Formats: sequence, structure tokens, C-alpha cells
Amino acid sequence: MAHIRKAEITSPITTLASENTTRITPVAALVGIGCLVGAWFLSGGNMARFSHAYLMNFCFFFTITLGCLFFVMVQHLTRAGWSVTVRRIAEIIACGMFPMFLLFLPILIPVIMGYSGLYSWNVAVPEAEVVKGSEAIGWAVGDPRIYELKRMYLNSFWFAVRTVAYFVCWTFIAVTLYRWSVRQDETGDPKLSSRMQAFCAPMMLVFVACLVFASFDWEMSLAPMWFSTMFPVYFFAGSVLSSLAMIMLVALLLQRSGRITDEITVEHYHDLAKLTFAFIFFWGYIAFSQFMLIWYANFPEETVWFKFRTSGTWLTVSMILLFGHLFIPFLGLMARSVRRNRTFLLFASIYLLILHWVDHFWLVMPQLNASVFPTYDYNTTLPFMLPALVCLVGMGGIFLASFCVVAGKRSLVCTRDPRLHEALNYDNP
Amino acid sequence: MSESMNNENSRNANRKLIGLLGQFDDPGTLLQACHSAREAGLRKIDAYTPFPVHGIEQAMGIRRTILPFIVLFVGLGACGVGIGLQWFTNATEGWGLWSGYQFKISGKPYFSLPANIPVTFEIIVLSSAFAAFLGMLALNRLPCLANPLHRIPRFRSVTNDRFFLSLGADENGFDSGTARDNLNRWGATDVEEIWLDETDHRMPAFLKTVAILGLILLLVPPVMIYRARGMTSRQTRLHVNPDMDFQVKFLPQSLGPISPDNPKEFFFPHKRSGFAPVPGTVPRGKGMDDIEFKRGIQAGSLEDHQTASSTPAVLASSGSRQESGQQEGATEPETPAEPDWLTRFPASVDINEQTLLRGQEQYNINCAVCHGYSGEGNGLVNQRALGLVINGHAKWNTARSLYDPEVINQPVGRIFDTITNGRSMMGPYGSRIRPADRWAIVLYVKALQETRINSPQPDPNTVVAEAGDSESGTATDDAAAKSE
Repeated sequence: MAHIRKAEITSPITTLASENTTRITPVAALVGIGCLVGAWFLSGGNMARFSHAYLMNFCFFFTITLGCLFFVMVQHLTRAGWSVTVRRIAEIIACGMFPMFLLFLPILIPVIMGYSGLYSWNVAVPEAEVVKGSEAIGWAVGDPRIYELKRMYLNSFWFAVRTVAYFVCWTFIAVTLYRWSVRQDETGDPKLSSRMQAFCAPMMLVFVACLVFASFDWEMSLAPMWFSTMFPVYFFAGSVLSSLAMIMLVALLLQRSGRITDEITVEHYHDLAKLTFAFIFFWGYIAFSQFMLIWYANFPEETVWFKFRTSGTWLTVSMILLFGHLFIPFLGLMARSVRRNRTFLLFASIYLLILHWVDHFWLVMPQLNASVFPTYDYNTTLPFMLPALVCLVGMGGIFLASFCVVAGKRSLVCTRDPRLHEALNYDNP
Repeated sequence: MSESMNNENSRNANRKLIGLLGQFDDPGTLLQACHSAREAGLRKIDAYTPFPVHGIEQAMGIRRTILPFIVLFVGLGACGVGIGLQWFTNATEGWGLWSGYQFKISGKPYFSLPANIPVTFEIIVLSSAFAAFLGMLALNRLPCLANPLHRIPRFRSVTNDRFFLSLGADENGFDSGTARDNLNRWGATDVEEIWLDETDHRMPAFLKTVAILGLILLLVPPVMIYRARGMTSRQTRLHVNPDMDFQVKFLPQSLGPISPDNPKEFFFPHKRSGFAPVPGTVPRGKGMDDIEFKRGIQAGSLEDHQTASSTPAVLASSGSRQESGQQEGATEPETPAEPDWLTRFPASVDINEQTLLRGQEQYNINCAVCHGYSGEGNGLVNQRALGLVINGHAKWNTARSLYDPEVINQPVGRIFDTITNGRSMMGPYGSRIRPADRWAIVLYVKALQETRINSPQPDPNTVVAEAGDSESGTATDDAAAKSE
């Protein structure tokens, strides 16, 4: 203490670009595409199996990207000083929103072409069957046309329009913030900071609206007759949690490779870990709230979703989530000394990302083999895991390549942010 | 300045010095001074600043607070208390005075963890917040109502633009002169002595009186409540919510509204609040479409009774079990003759084993409590009530034995009507059991009777039940039955 650092970047290396990284980008991209194609063959030509594995991995990486965008916006909105040195990493990841759109095309195009193996609402069911399906579960549907009414929203045309709209909004927000932030590196104009803040306020509303409906569209509509208004919050909680883990992981790996060693201090990790800790519990709070309301009210059309996830092998997965995603990290990240330990945080962030992957596995995979109507005759054994794991590698490769391309030769910290001195001198009392 | 200090010293000759206070003009110097004091081995030091100064804890060598652990353990304890409380209150029963009360909620188990989580969570949050707040106060020895530092005028600027460091006189080897020199050397712009506050801190005598009086006054409400426990009162009871207790509405069987034109007249010519059913309509539950099935009366036999009185004959006959029947009986028309009871089962009732089993089930649910599982009128309620009658605690007409010859001779329609509308002390079950099930019960009763008709030896209980039949209510029924 007593030594006040000047707002200067002192690390020897502040950019990603080097001999090695320029080579990494095409390799990662090629491996990524190769693995995704490989996953298709591993699925044995079973389109449904492939699409579910693909969608869950897409959602895994997409929620990380989305959470980073949220992180950036919140830092601007709250005029946060501490986070200036880690904000750039989040900005770079958030700019992966456009590659994310490209990655969504293998889901979107079959839906437009009428494929219904993934989103079972994408097929018109004759009215007789609708009524039969409703009767089969003893569910007194107020309006037997409920399925047809749902299709006014859940149809391929609207789905495509909405999806494009979401990505346009998010990409616009992410790219704009990144461009202004990079411009500030050059000009050092403090007005850009207030402009970003003013930009984020209305854009936050757009961001949230897109988030809510995207979670409905992409994951909740896998079980089209099931509904939970808590679902977007659940989706969001996992998203922010995983993005915080990813920011920590990227920062730790960058520092281990000798980049931006002076700028990100243990204080920043401490704060990131505190936020992570908070969102671990927030995730658990929301997950339990969603479960308990449905469990307590005990309406067949709602409980069937959880009934299935607490039967057979899926009960084990649910328990892994309850303990691994809530209790263990909650107790594990409670102590201050742990939050300031870089080695521990490296493992904690990897662990949390793995559990977040399991979370999306749990959300998406049970719907494989499930019918349009909630019935109790699901297959409760785990599906063939290999395509999902290969998809993870594939999409991870593309995620990495996109990170390298977006980062390019630009600095990995905001070099001339007016609040940089605050971040450099940040101290957790 | 030194002169005034000397004067003060002489004045304070007998008072106890508890420390020295050095004034600093900027936080940096104060931090250095803290460092120097630590290096000099001093432990009884304290710093006072107008705003939080980063790094001052380390400079002063303050250990990290144990407050988080207090909160953690209180939180864990609250978790146990919350779950235990819900387990005890809702999942246990029969521990004497401090018994829990098993209560089925929403069909969940008595002890259901998911349902208990929200309450447990709230208890944890509340207790942790209390632990954090009260623990903080306790660890900081707050509230501190008087501090000797507040008597030093210069110290007031600590809330504005000055920084202070105090060196405690309870330090080992404390020497006022050395301490003063040290403070000056470390950059203090001024040094003052802190004297123990020796003003009389005993409580003023009148406060004791006030406190005792207050305590006595506090006893008044509980004493009054205790006294009121065993007292009767002729006063009208207190209505906290008069608009709930006296609602502006017309109750059934009451007088109707007053005419707006003439306050002496009623609005409706018949003066009542309710209306008789509109001709041609059927009130809910009184469908007359299938009179044999719904009422046990032979089709076509009722027209005469219907024209004679708008009240169904059966309903009128059941009026005898009303307590007020004695007064109103005089003004009421004579009890109409018994209708023609159905002597066979209606066509829509299937006489088969399934119906019989259904009848047994319904009988055991609804009838057996009084009439007994074997139909001898020795159900648990009946036994208990007879016990009370002996002690004069209750009025009770013994439940009929179903093997009573009169009951055996009753047509099935009459038994059906008894179940539907009740007889004597027996209440009506028409609203509780569906007609088909009532017929099933009749079938079961008939089957039970059949077993006894063929059995050679009469059951002694039957005799006992017959002896109990001499009560008034049953007698009228018997009379009615005979008049048939």
C-alpha cells in the first residue's frame, strides 16, 4: 500500500498475437469443423441424435457468449472501476455472437426445411391426435386446439425470423461496444465511456427481451407442451455463471502464457470469484424455485418435465447438478483465501464449466425420444454420449478460433479507459 | 499553549491518563505513523479517520474479523433449527403437552424436504442477518454511549479533515514523554492527552423510581387479562370488524327488504327475502325426473300428494326430528300419508355382486359408525353415545338394528328414503351419497338381513337394540310406518 500505481499498462505482452497463435486459429477452426462433421457420422446418420447433441453444445457455448455480453453491459451501466482490466476479455468473447449465429444455422436450416426430429412442434398434428394426446395424459385441456394455438407462435417461419432478430440485436450490441472500447484505446476519449453507458441502458432491455424469448424458443420449446415462466431466469443464471468462470479461465490462461501479467491482479480474481459465488447460489435459487412451484402445484402437464428428469438415470444427473452445481461450489468458494488462490480458481472455473455443460445436457437430452405430448413413457436411460462430447470439442475449436480472430492484434486490456487507474489500484478491504 | 496545558495538568493531577492523541494532516502520514508505531512494538494503538483509508488495517496490524465464521455457524444452526422446527411441528405427534400436530398439506408427506426449503431458507437469511449485525456491534463493543475522546474539542475535526492516532497508556512501559516525542517524530502536528472520564456515571436516583414504576405498569395488562379469563360479562361483545359481522345482505328464511315508497311496507308482497321456486323449474339436487331411482317412490303414485302440498311428503315427515318441531307442529298441516314406497329395486340398479360390494364399501364408510359393521346398531358412535346418555351428558336415540323386524319388513324404497332424508336422530345422507350408491347400500342391507332371516338363532344384540327403540323420535317413525 501507499504505493499508488499510475494508469499505465506495464506488462511486456498485452496482445494475443504471436507466432504460435496465428497458427492456432486455422488449426482450431479446422479441428472444430472436422469434429462437428465427425459428430454427424458418429450419430450413425440419426439426425435427431445429432441435433440434440449439437443443440446442447451450442447452448453451452452460446450462454457463455451471452453472459459475457451481459457482463460488459453491466460494467458500463454501473460505471464499474474494478473491472476495467478484465472487461476486454468479456468484450472479445461477446463478439463471438456472429460465429454463434453461423453455428446455429445447422439447427435453423433443417427447421425451415420442415425437420421435426428436434423441435417436435415443427409438424402439424391432426386435430384428432391432439385430442387423443391430451386425453392420454388425463389432462383436461381447456381448449383442445391448444396445440394448434401454440403453433401460431411455434412455427418454422416465425422461429427463423425471431432467431435472426435475436442475433442481429446481440451482435449489434456486442460489436458496437467492442468497437467503441477499441477506439478508446487509440483516442483515450473519456466521452466514449459515458456514450457506452448511455448505449447500454436501452440496449439492456433489448438484450433481456431477446434472452427471454430465445430461451423459450431454443430450449423450452423442445417440450412444446411444457411451460415455465421461470425458465429464462434459469437460463440467464447459468449463462452469467458460466461466463464468469470462462472470463476467469481465459484470464488465468493468458497470464500463465505471460500476457497482461501486471494488469489483472489477485483483487480482480477475488471479485470475479465473489460474483461467481453469488451466481452459484442464484442459479440454485432459481432452479429450486422453478422445481418447487411445479412440484407443489402438481399439475400433470407441468410435473411431467421434472417427473422424467427424476426417473431412472436422469435422477442421477439431477443429483449431480444439485450437489455439483450448487452445494459443492457454494461451500467451496465461500472462503476468502480460496477466492484469492489462482491455482484453485483455475480448477474451480474448469469445474464450473463442466457442470454448466451437464446442466445443458440435462435440459436438452431428455427430450430426445420424447413425444410432442407429455407422457410418462420416456426412455430414462442416458443417450449415446459420444456425439455430444465430439460436438463439444468441435464447437470449442470454433469458439477458440473466433476468440483469436476477434482479439487479433488488439490489446487484451483496455489501455486508456478513464477508470483504468481505479482498476489497477483496486484493493479488496 | 504550553501554559494552558500546564494549568490543565495541575488541574488534572489526580486524574488518570489513559493515552495520547496525535493529530495528523493527511492519510499518508497517518499510515506511516501506524507503521512506525507497529515497528516500535506498540500494540495499544488506534487510528481515527474521516473516511476509510485503504491499507490502514495492515498498517495497524488488525487481524481479520471472525465475523464471517460467526455468521456461518449461526446460519448452519438456523438451517438445523428451521428443518427441525418443521419436522417437529408437522411430522411428529403424541409427545404429550409439547406435541406436534400431524397435518396433511397438499397431499405431500408429513416431512417433505422440498416444501420445507423456503421456510428454512428464510430462517437462515434472517438469523444470518441478525448474527452479522449484532455480531458486528458486539465485536466493535458498540453501542458506546460515551468515549473520553469526545471530550477533546480538537477531536471533532476527525469527522471532517483531520486524522488521529492514539497511543494507549495501558501499553507495557508506556511513558508519556517518550510517547509524545514519538508522535511528534512520526509527523503529528499536535499531541493531546486523553484523560479518563471521571464524572459521576451512576444512574440518577429518580430514574430508578421511574423504572420500577414502569415495570409495575407493565404488569397491569397481563394481570387484567388473567383476571378476565374466569369472568362473565353482560356487555355486548366487541366487534372489531362490524362490516364483516353485520353484512348488508338478506339471509335465507328472513324478512325481505322494506319498500322504498312506504317504510311500513315490505318490498315483496310475501315479506320474505327468498322466493319459492318458479313453477316448472327444478332446484339443484331435487330432480324429479326419475322418481323411482331418486326417491324410492313408485312412479305415478305421487301426483295426489303433489297437488295436496307443494312440500314433498318425505321432507315433511322428516320435520319431526327438528328440535323446534314441537312449537311449529301445531300450525303445520297434518303429516301427509306415506307415499307408495318402491317394493322392488328400480330398473336402473343392477343386482349383481359388483353392486353388492359397492354397497358394502359405502355402508362401511357411511353407516357402520352407528349401525355397526354387522348392522346390529352397535357402531362405535352408538356405543359412545349410549355411554354419555347413561351419565346424562347427551340425548340419543339408539341406532336401529337392521334386523329389527320392522326394518326387515320395510320396503326397499322406505330404506332408501331413510338413507336419503334421515329418520329420528339419523341425519340425511342424500347430499353425501349418490343415488346409485344409496341403492347399493340398500341392496347390501337387504343381503345382511337375508343372512339373519335364515339364521336359526337370534342375536342377543338385537334384543338390546329393540329395547332402546322406546325413545320418542323412533316412536313417531314407528307410528308413521304403522299408518302405512
